[in-house]
Amino acid sequence: MAPGEKIKAKIKKNLPVTGPQAPTIKELMQWYCLNTNTHGCRRIVVSRGRLRRLLWIGFTLTAVALIFWQCALLVFSFYTVSVTIKVHFQKLDFPAVTICNINPYKYSVVRPLLADLEQETKEALKSLYGLSEIQSRKRREAESWSSAWDDTRPKFLRLVPLLFFDEEEKDKARDFVTGRKRKVSGSIIPKASEVVQVQESRQVVGFQLCSNDTSDCATYTFSSGVNAIQEWYKLHYMNIMAQVPLEKKINMSYSAEELLVTCFFDGVSCDARNFTLFHHPMYGNCYTFNKGDNATILSTSMGGSEYGLQVILYINEEEYNPFLVSSSGAKVIIHRQDEYPFIEDVGTEIETAMATSIGMHLTESFKLSEPYSQCTEDGSEVPVRNIYNAAYSLQICLHSCFQAKMVEKCGCAQYSQPLPPAANYCNYQQHPNWMYCYYQLHQAFVQEELGCQAVCREACSFKEWTLTTSLAQWPSVVSEKWLLPVLTWDQSRQINKKLNKTDLAKLLIFYKDLNQRSIMENPANSIEMLLSNFGGQLGLWMSCSVVCVIEIIEVFFIDFFSIIARRQWQKAKEWWALRQAPPCPEAPPSPRGQDNPALDIDDDLPTFTSALRLPPAPGAQVPGTPPPRYNTLRLERAFSTQLSDTQLPGEP
Amino acid sequence: MLLHINLAYLFELWHSCPPWMPTDEHGDKNVWMEKPGHREGATMHVKKYLLKCLHRLQKGPGYTYKELLVWYCDNTNTHGPKRIICEGPKKKAMWFLITLLFAALVCWQWGVFINTYLSWEVSVSLSVGFKAMDFPAVTICNASPFKYSKVKHLLKDLDELMEAVLERILAPESSHANATRALNFTIWNYTPLFLIDERNPHDPVVLDLFADNHNDSAIICNDPGCKMAMRLCRLNGTECTFQNFTSATQAVTEWYVLQATNIFAQVPFQELVQMGYPAEQVILSCLFGAEPCNYRNFTSIFYPPYGNCYIFNWGMMEKALPSANPGTEFGLKLILDIGEEDYVPFLASTAGVRLLLHEQRSYPFIREEGIYAMSATETSIGVLVDKLQRKGEPYSPCTMNGSDVPIQNFYSNYNTTYSIQACLHSCFQDHMIRNCSCGHYLYPLPPGEKYCNNWDFPDWARCYSALQMSLAQRETCIGLCKESCNDTQYKMTISMADWPSEASEDWIFHVLSQERDQSTNITLSKKGIVKLNIYFQEFNYRTIEESAANNIVWLLSNLGGQFGFWMGGSVLCLIEFAEIIIDFVWITIIKLVGFAKSSRQRPASARYAGPPPTVAELVEAHTNFGFQPDAASHGPGAEAYPDEQALPIPGTPPPNYDSLRLQPLDVIESDSEGDAI
Repeated sequence: MAPGEKIKAKIKKNLPVTGPQAPTIKELMQWYCLNTNTHGCRRIVVSRGRLRRLLWIGFTLTAVALIFWQCALLVFSFYTVSVTIKVHFQKLDFPAVTICNINPYKYSVVRPLLADLEQETKEALKSLYGLSEIQSRKRREAESWSSAWDDTRPKFLRLVPLLFFDEEEKDKARDFVTGRKRKVSGSIIPKASEVVQVQESRQVVGFQLCSNDTSDCATYTFSSGVNAIQEWYKLHYMNIMAQVPLEKKINMSYSAEELLVTCFFDGVSCDARNFTLFHHPMYGNCYTFNKGDNATILSTSMGGSEYGLQVILYINEEEYNPFLVSSSGAKVIIHRQDEYPFIEDVGTEIETAMATSIGMHLTESFKLSEPYSQCTEDGSEVPVRNIYNAAYSLQICLHSCFQAKMVEKCGCAQYSQPLPPAANYCNYQQHPNWMYCYYQLHQAFVQEELGCQAVCREACSFKEWTLTTSLAQWPSVVSEKWLLPVLTWDQSRQINKKLNKTDLAKLLIFYKDLNQRSIMENPANSIEMLLSNFGGQLGLWMSCSVVCVIEIIEVFFIDFFSIIARRQWQKAKEWWALRQAPPCPEAPPSPRGQDNPALDIDDDLPTFTSALRLPPAPGAQVPGTPPPRYNTLRLERAFSTQLSDTQLPGEP
Repeated sequence: MLLHINLAYLFELWHSCPPWMPTDEHGDKNVWMEKPGHREGATMHVKKYLLKCLHRLQKGPGYTYKELLVWYCDNTNTHGPKRIICEGPKKKAMWFLITLLFAALVCWQWGVFINTYLSWEVSVSLSVGFKAMDFPAVTICNASPFKYSKVKHLLKDLDELMEAVLERILAPESSHANATRALNFTIWNYTPLFLIDERNPHDPVVLDLFADNHNDSAIICNDPGCKMAMRLCRLNGTECTFQNFTSATQAVTEWYVLQATNIFAQVPFQELVQMGYPAEQVILSCLFGAEPCNYRNFTSIFYPPYGNCYIFNWGMMEKALPSANPGTEFGLKLILDIGEEDYVPFLASTAGVRLLLHEQRSYPFIREEGIYAMSATETSIGVLVDKLQRKGEPYSPCTMNGSDVPIQNFYSNYNTTYSIQACLHSCFQDHMIRNCSCGHYLYPLPPGEKYCNNWDFPDWARCYSALQMSLAQRETCIGLCKESCNDTQYKMTISMADWPSEASEDWIFHVLSQERDQSTNITLSKKGIVKLNIYFQEFNYRTIEESAANNIVWLLSNLGGQFGFWMGGSVLCLIEFAEIIIDFVWITIIKLVGFAKSSRQRPASARYAGPPPTVAELVEAHTNFGFQPDAASHGPGAEAYPDEQALPIPGTPPPNYDSLRLQPLDVIESDSEGDAI
């Protein structure tokens, strides 16, 4: 057997052999186990004794199971990230710095527009709290308080009445204009009472918003009159300002020259021309330093306060609106050049008569987008239209989403956010219901019922400036004497007034050092890593490789089924032959042996390969045929004489 | 056909050798080589020796390329090649392609991995928590560098000049009369202030503030077109530039600072220290945890921008103090007096304490990194130590101790550790000395150099201002300086409250005055008192530590994984492959020798008279020890090979005996296995 084996293999190599090489599944399995490259199978076949064989079968199956389990773990943990933190010491781009006065408009200029509202607010204060005269220490011009109150009808209070509630009778409220009690219909929504339970308030102040169409009313109550009146004032204020054109509003607010007394950046003087105007609906004119308008972004190549931005701001408290803003100072926000400054949300406040020094550390973060996390690179895949003229951020998305809903539901846009195309700001001449609608919508937004929070995704990369803010007294007692006159002289180009130290604020913004920290997410796994981990697992448990996998596919999925198919086919043929034999003996067997002509030649000839490969089966199909060796020997001769001939061994 | 020719060469080679001596199974192969040597001459000796070597080395499994490949494919441990030789032609082609493809894949993936490894990536680990740590070094300075009462005599001329300038700017009409006051114009003439009237942009008018040639008050214009400027000259005033300012405040401040620098640069170091605030005046009370401390626990250094600074827990002489508990009670509590009344009025417009938390043994760069603490206020500072520890080269470009930075560290005489600020400042000072031939007052001086002043270096102001504005200089320094690998930042949570309260004010000031000045009257003013609490937060450290992301173990396991995944190979397979390559080379050498020989003895060598043996036969003969030529053993086909008897050397066994000898073990084993089934 052994000497002929190789020759036969050689011959076989030169012959077209298709299809499975073993006639039965058992033989196929045995052949596979003996010849496969994986380690376990061979031991199953060569082990003697049932126990050992069983043990080896057990081991092999366990190894296979382990491989599957481990590989599944590897696949499931594929989309994980590893974080690297890098520090670079380099020249850093200075961020954009937006500075706003807390008060949006000069009160003296905006007052004619708000005169009626002011009157009514004062009246409300008078009747609610018995305040007769507001003593303004700062305001110079004393004007008649109760001038035209009698002849105008209270239109603001009529629209949105301020109400007094008593704890005892919840649904009875006193309208202080008419004085009579009225039944409060609809729901009383205490502002923020869902978050904090206010228990022991004796009386509450609130206002009622009604929709004209449905006579639905919602009442908002506040635990303190301060909040109630400010909210109420703001509502009307927005109404009025929404109707004022932008140019007029810009003119009513502070100019850059007025706000900035001196400016110094990186050891060089700068002035109002280095600042870009940015009009914020609630903060009026804000000025952005280093907006990068003409494509040049200033950078810092030295750390320390000497090399940052130093400005002295002029905060004129006399021009403050007493009802709209109750604090004084300025607000500053540090942001990226293409970022929208959400000054009302994330500003740092600056006190007057102080030097505020803000040291910055820059941290950059990069997240991986899909499929690692839910973040978005530029917001293009978020189904919310960006109404801001700025790069995408979560904040922008939420505000845009709310504004879009507002336009959709109420038919007009909210004042404190930019205007979407083909919409205009709400005012109650055109949209009498808007306040009710707005409050309803805002409530829904806060309670995440509008779906904005679900739709909006965070941005993948962002720059963050960590601020260390510290305060110092400025100007110092001894330097005050000379500093204030010089500053007055500087500012006298704009205003003719002797400056007080409480009118001024000094602001220093600088990089503490030029270290930039980058926090980067990297894919923890690459496809190479995954494959090599697979390889490690396969190799560890079974010494297997992709070749083995191909073998398995070949043997178990192709050969296996073709053997079964052949077996079935032969059975069917036999059965057919038995049935058909008596009537029609010469019926030709229909298409035969597509897969393996060598094997499919009928029972009279033993299969060439099977005979070669395996010890002759005990129950050989064709008894009485000459031993197969003859055949091969003969073939070999033919082969050796005509080397390149690869003919079928068709002729016997 | 090529194969036949190759075989022919091989045979020739063998046949040119001395008569074939069959060897016994275990005998030395070289025995037979010895005999012909005696018969032949010197050339034969060489040839014999060569052959000997050849046979010793050539233990490969075949004598032709094909044999070698077949043997390799059959016996290698990698998974693909085996299938190439034991399948039919179609499958063979398929397996050949698959094997090639997988080999290519493995090579590519290995390339990827090696590349990744050589990119020296790092992974970071982050740890947050509380542990007992060394309390940071705390440096405190007064915002005013000197006590005005002590420097008045130095600044007298300058102050008078400054006042005159201010008067001139603010009230030009009235000041004109006073301008005749005796002023020391020598200072002024080095760097005078000018007013540039740019109301007519084509014809700007430049006016000296103290020029005598005008006596009308209209010189001071208050229009935005008018600018203040500082004239900086060199080469005895022949070449001048103007440094413009948009506001008068800045102009006079900058001018004053420049002049004051000039004055202080000429004062000896000891006197400067004397003129600053002494520790016992500044530090009124000190409490660290439960232990009292006083101004003697502070190390004094002279920091030019802020005068005398005091460092607590610097760790230079003694061991650093640890703090093992979070919270105000276990931190440092200080009460400081900044003496605001005695501030230099034109030098320090901001009043307060400058404060910096830094690492032990590091130089405090307060002007760059410090924060302010306000007077009449209690400032509480919660500290979180944010540490970054890096691996250094080649993972990240940083330096462990600054020894590999090409800049001399001028701060080294403070015996402090390397920091990038020290490097940048040293770099600036270095440039300053090279360009202006004198050192700037704010930075330490290398030995043998002098600080800049107007008398010795009249051009220095212009030189300095040009250097300071020069971006190229800064970028050079940034390029040269490397960050330190261990970077510690102290993240501070600052909160403030008024202190002392109205009710406690009286007794607190009384006690403090008594303690400091032994006076029963209150000698302190509320405006100048600063209270500081510095303590560890509940989580006091955040450490980011770098470690190599890809080490050699990672690389090897991934290489192994890839090789194993695609081909089931290992390092041994690589060795096998190398062995085959060596065999390959040997065969080539044998062939070349054979070719040379045959070309010399062409007539002598006889080819096969009949058809030469086929590859299959030769391979079989080579691998199968039981092989017998057909003609001899089998009856029916014997006549088919009449030439067999006419082989060149009749009676000699087939030539490849020694390789045959290697075979039997394997064959027998496989047979026995087959039986066992």
